[in-house]
Amino acid sequence: MAINLKPVDVAVVGLGAAGGVAVLPLAKAGLRVAGIEAGTWMDPHRQYHADEIFNNVRGGVTSVQKANREIPTVRENDKSPTRPRGTIHPMMNAIGGTSIHYWASAWRLKPWDFRTKSETIKRYGAGALPKGSTLEDWPISYDDLEPYYDIIEHEVGVSGKAGNIKGVLDPAGNVYEGPRQRDYPMPPLRGTEYTEHMMAAAKKMGLKPFHGPSAINSQNYNGRPGCVYHGYCGRGGCHISAKNSTAVSTIPAAQKFKNFTITDLAHVTRIGVDANGRASGVTYIKDGKEYFQPAKVVLIASYTYENSRLFLLSKSKAFPNGISNNHGQVGRHFFSHWQGSPVMALFPFNINVWYGTPAQTTVVDDFADDNFDHTGLGFIGGTSISLGTEMHPIEAAAMQTFGMAPQWGSKWKAFVKQNAARWTSSYLQTSTFPYEQNYLDLDPEVKDPLGDPVCRVTNAAMPNEARAAAFGQAKTEDWFRAAGAIEVLRGPAGPGGVSTHAYGGLRMGDNPETSVVDKWGMSHEVPNLGVLGASTMVTSGARNPTLTVQALAWRTAENIVKNWKTISVKG
Amino acid sequence: MPEEKETGNVSRRAVIMSAAIVPVAAIRSAAAPGATDNAKAPALTPDQLKLVEAFADRLIPKDENGPGASECGAANYIDRQLADYLAPERASFVDGLTATNAYAMKSHGRNFVDLTPEMQDMVLTAIDSGTAEGFANSRAFFTRFRRLTLEGTFSDPYYGGNKNFAGWDMIGYPGPRLAVGPDEQKMNVTIKPVRMSVWGGVKDGH
Repeated sequence: MAINLKPVDVAVVGLGAAGGVAVLPLAKAGLRVAGIEAGTWMDPHRQYHADEIFNNVRGGVTSVQKANREIPTVRENDKSPTRPRGTIHPMMNAIGGTSIHYWASAWRLKPWDFRTKSETIKRYGAGALPKGSTLEDWPISYDDLEPYYDIIEHEVGVSGKAGNIKGVLDPAGNVYEGPRQRDYPMPPLRGTEYTEHMMAAAKKMGLKPFHGPSAINSQNYNGRPGCVYHGYCGRGGCHISAKNSTAVSTIPAAQKFKNFTITDLAHVTRIGVDANGRASGVTYIKDGKEYFQPAKVVLIASYTYENSRLFLLSKSKAFPNGISNNHGQVGRHFFSHWQGSPVMALFPFNINVWYGTPAQTTVVDDFADDNFDHTGLGFIGGTSISLGTEMHPIEAAAMQTFGMAPQWGSKWKAFVKQNAARWTSSYLQTSTFPYEQNYLDLDPEVKDPLGDPVCRVTNAAMPNEARAAAFGQAKTEDWFRAAGAIEVLRGPAGPGGVSTHAYGGLRMGDNPETSVVDKWGMSHEVPNLGVLGASTMVTSGARNPTLTVQALAWRTAENIVKNWKTISVKG
Repeated sequence: MPEEKETGNVSRRAVIMSAAIVPVAAIRSAAAPGATDNAKAPALTPDQLKLVEAFADRLIPKDENGPGASECGAANYIDRQLADYLAPERASFVDGLTATNAYAMKSHGRNFVDLTPEMQDMVLTAIDSGTAEGFANSRAFFTRFRRLTLEGTFSDPYYGGNKNFAGWDMIGYPGPRLAVGPDEQKMNVTIKPVRMSVWGGVKDGH
């Protein structure tokens, strides 16, 4: 039998980017909050290293291997076989979660992202909507989320330059962004000669480049130092805590309240349901023992795959197909960001991008969202183009030879010796939409060590995204060539397999027939069960999801506090 | 209470025990995975190691542009790591080596290490292009061998390769710094290289 614990007000499953934010407003309000996390604390001095093998080749920055034992299976469609399973999950387990080793790009979505369906119909007609898509407008607008973006930018700490403060545009920032109430709390990360070179080339082309926002301190902030640009940020932890993971920002802030407790190294296996069909708490395993943590409100904040999986695994009389799944929506409206799709460029001089961070960028948004006329292009949405720094030696030597040299031997060696510091890649993110045929469910065969099925991803690349990505790649090529690149080469574009940018499965909406949670992130069917994370997102935008995830998490938590009596009441 | 059945039977309990989450730090004897532990028995026999050296030296040959892969420690890296972090792939890797030598014998009548560089290149080209017989998947083996050669040549020397930082010198990687200033991010600059392992113990060579 599971050991019954003392009831709490709110149980938060997962203390990563999302859960790690939500605990702060909950704890501050005086609620008894139990944070339950599979990983544990990481030690910046012992576990964060400037080492490509440790960070990037072997995925060493994680506190436990839970994620790696639950890697989802991936297949293209109902009839195709599952692909060979990877061995390293792109997400990690720890207090702070993947906010420890992510790139820390910290974007707001655009107003258009929240109203893509209606705006598309208005501008291009209903025929322009992607075929087979289950796209809807979000139940909230950019304006609804703006105050929470602002809170996160200041609580977590984001560096950037505003392009639109209350409608006043500033070309030093992103003039395509939605209106914001005030500037970022810190200026953007330092530019480099390379990023400024690309900035100048973009301006010459008539584009509107800017430095991208990042949750990395550009100067001292909240008692932690500014970035030192040492070049081991991606998949690495920050040795000076300049990267604003929740492990160094909102979680320690929440720990100042005694009513917030953390249970680490705890693997949550089920969401409990009481006789009235309300969430009763969660079952977890720690140190070989099974516990049940009763809670008045349960918030699920693991990653996208695991959130849907936990819902599907939590079957009961009231919910025979998984909790909150009586409308068959759990796992639906899943989408995997088209990100990466790089264009590589070779310059005839040393661009020296060894150091820095992937968030030390020049970005162009002119081909993203609905920032240009799509008439006749055959797609909606678009691609943001981000050029950053940070190159590691093995990665550099494993470079493409652009058809100018073989892959090994003396000619290869001469080529790499000359060009390892002269090439770079780009980071392209394309608006990605949900489709009827793409979804998450439980794998019928592959199980984790507990015997629970892992998540199965069924996901095909769709034509709208393919066209938008190709369009973005062509524009990136133009940009590189204008900046003096002598060779450019397109990498493969697509939604990838198991991804750091996985969305949906527990979509947000007003209609229980087409969504799982309401506009506050609470289940339509189980009113005291909430979801944090990109699981609830309706569209991706053409940019990294984390800031939106965090703004939504804060908003969900604040709503719980404001409506505590209604939400927590025993049914 | 949760709806999940609480059977309380022994096998369920055993499963829970076996699936306990253990912190990574607790299962790592050293601070890093795949540390250069010279006390550990090497993964490869002397003949296999010689074959790896010869193979790697055709991928990155010693020439006017600097030392070859084995002089850079790539073969040592592969040997050490196959005994440690990469132990799960040791058997398939050794199968690939065996097939490489068998193919050399079959196509040129001699062990791979005794062939001329030109003949070795012919053998490797056949493995790379998938035309060599006797492999489970010769292209996959070649790709993996090449990848491990790059890792051994260009990684932090802590793992047994990049001897005397020769790999980093070859491509002009200025080395790990704990902090980087604006001047060190300029284009077309020659930055004074930092030649150290971030794991300590190795500085300016072994």
